[in-house]
Amino acid sequence: MTVALLFALVIGLLFLGVPIAVALGLSSVLFLLVFSDTSLASVAQTLFNAFEGHFTLLAIPFFVLASSFMSTGGVAKRIIRFSVAVVGHFPGGLAIAGVFACMMFAALSGSSPATVVAIGPIVIGAMTQAGYSKDFAAGVICNAGTLGILIPPSIVMVVYSAATDVSVGRMFLAGVIPGILAGSMLMMAIYITARVRNLPKGNWLGWQEVLDSAIHAAGGLLLMIIIMVGIYGGPWLGYHDTFDANGAATQVFGYYWAPGIFTPTEAAAVAAVYAFVIATFVYRDMGPLAARQDGGSPIPLHRKPYALITAFWHADTKRTLLDAGKLTITLMFIIANALILKHVLTDEQVPQQIANAMLSAGLGAIMFLVVVNVILLIGGQFMEPSGLILIVAPLVFPIAIELGINPIHLGIIMVVNMEIGMITPPVGLNLFVTSGVARMPMLRVVKAALPWLGILFIFLIMVTYIPILSTWLPEKIMGPETIIK
Amino acid sequence: MQALGRFVNSLEENAIAVLLGAMTLLTFANVVARYGFNHNILWALELSVYMFAWLVLLGVSYAVKIGAHLGVDALLALVDPRIRKAMGLASAAACLIFTFLLLKGSWDYWANFANLPGTEGRWFPLGFEEKFRGKGWYETNDIPMIPLLGFLEPIFNDGDHYEKVPRLIPYMVLPFSMALLLFRFVQATWALYQGKIESLIVSHEAEDAVEDAANRLEATQ
Repeated sequence: MTVALLFALVIGLLFLGVPIAVALGLSSVLFLLVFSDTSLASVAQTLFNAFEGHFTLLAIPFFVLASSFMSTGGVAKRIIRFSVAVVGHFPGGLAIAGVFACMMFAALSGSSPATVVAIGPIVIGAMTQAGYSKDFAAGVICNAGTLGILIPPSIVMVVYSAATDVSVGRMFLAGVIPGILAGSMLMMAIYITARVRNLPKGNWLGWQEVLDSAIHAAGGLLLMIIIMVGIYGGPWLGYHDTFDANGAATQVFGYYWAPGIFTPTEAAAVAAVYAFVIATFVYRDMGPLAARQDGGSPIPLHRKPYALITAFWHADTKRTLLDAGKLTITLMFIIANALILKHVLTDEQVPQQIANAMLSAGLGAIMFLVVVNVILLIGGQFMEPSGLILIVAPLVFPIAIELGINPIHLGIIMVVNMEIGMITPPVGLNLFVTSGVARMPMLRVVKAALPWLGILFIFLIMVTYIPILSTWLPEKIMGPETIIK
Repeated sequence: MQALGRFVNSLEENAIAVLLGAMTLLTFANVVARYGFNHNILWALELSVYMFAWLVLLGVSYAVKIGAHLGVDALLALVDPRIRKAMGLASAAACLIFTFLLLKGSWDYWANFANLPGTEGRWFPLGFEEKFRGKGWYETNDIPMIPLLGFLEPIFNDGDHYEKVPRLIPYMVLPFSMALLLFRFVQATWALYQGKIESLIVSHEAEDAVEDAANRLEATQ
């Protein structure tokens, strides 16, 4: 009962307009002071332990930084050019290209609003010029933008892993197939709508344009390859050991699957440094080599070799670091306070109590997943996704394990729910962002997004009840999962 | 006064940029050292984790100053301005209480690591404790001692040599950052009362960028 009081306090403070972090932290601290004998000093220790005790979370600032470097430059523009070259000639091509671009940008950034902000202005502008209605354009981008948290790397997945001790690497892999599936379903739906409503289609620009635009976009797209190959390894050509029937090793030359060399945290740091190098020295959209005025051409490195050094403290670099720092700070303060709340819940054995109540009520796996869906869909509208995951995951995780649900599968279900929460009226986050970017009233964006929301709902049902969509790839690459109760 | 404000502002911004940049480069360097030179920088992980903690804890007060903390403005947007202001002040009060409690907790936690007394009292500091066990001799796991910190040895370690940097250094950020946060919340509360700001929160992380994106979209049409 007292725990209900705790949650009522959190929700009350949230609606009062208290910062999410403070609402979580204050409720937990008050609860501890009144109902337990924990001291304030140990609360402070828990706060510091959010960093000291969770190495996984160290990946978050690096992913945020990588995505900041990728968002400053013209990476979005290059990715969109590539998507238009590939799928622009289909009926409804520009809209399909918008979804495709959102999928690729999602692989560079871990955040959904950031995806809408980067891709939205360019694609919505181009679509209205090509004769689409602004509503159609906004609706498509609003939905496709949510893929940001499903397609790896994803900050929400890192947080889920930290909350439940599931491997980050597995979670990232598990997001790949659902992410591609969701994107494809949206693209199919657009294609069908375009055939029915006779929407404009672009011209096929030829293989030359596909190749050119691919080369231009490659610098950005390589980022996800570095991350994935760095963590999981990849095909490699060279000398390697093979074992014959007796177990004797011989060295042969040829293709083989080289193992990964980074932890997810290291991969994130490498990605951040790579993104800095690409933005500053290759694309030169920012930093000392950027064009002096709009539309000018960037300065070649050999004309200004000292830029190799000065780039590190150039004003643009500093601004990007500061932007990424601000986002890291606000996210991590929420996460640290959610960890205090998690601490309270575990101390009070709340997860076990809920688990027992649900199990003794005869709740099966299917009904349980429906309950999880409903809780997250409602919560996802109001709360920052990582904070919500951190609170809900410890509550539902023990029950899921008890019911025999795969932890990876549960994680993907939670992420997809967060996605849909972002575009569910009345207060979905992506609806707000899209209405701001397109300067359209909220109600119009809601109406525009509604048809595509239906597609994502079907997708949610598929992900929830077909576990193999999420579990196949991680098990294929990293071997079967051992579940510790 | 304004010059001081600008100085503090650039100090905060530089600290955030430098900490984030340094922890990234340090982790990157460790990867290079391990796979390029077969050598592990043993203290790299622990040091980057402490820099991470410093970045976030020092940064939260900066985030209050620029109004960057995330919150739910669904209800705030519906009510009329007078009620909104009242709600704003109430939420500011919640922030002040929270930070005050954390400041006490942070001091109590850190103080013993610096051979200082914690405070008595459960909710409110009622004076310093008389008996406590000093933990000034606690060291970090891996970060080697640097000579620059040698002056700490006679003060906190009875003159004995520290092998590793003592824990009182990384933990110092707790009371310091919470005191700073309390100061920023007091400032924000005052600004809210005077009507200079409307609320303590933004509804999503990309709020600045949205306006910018909207302008870019309009420029294309």
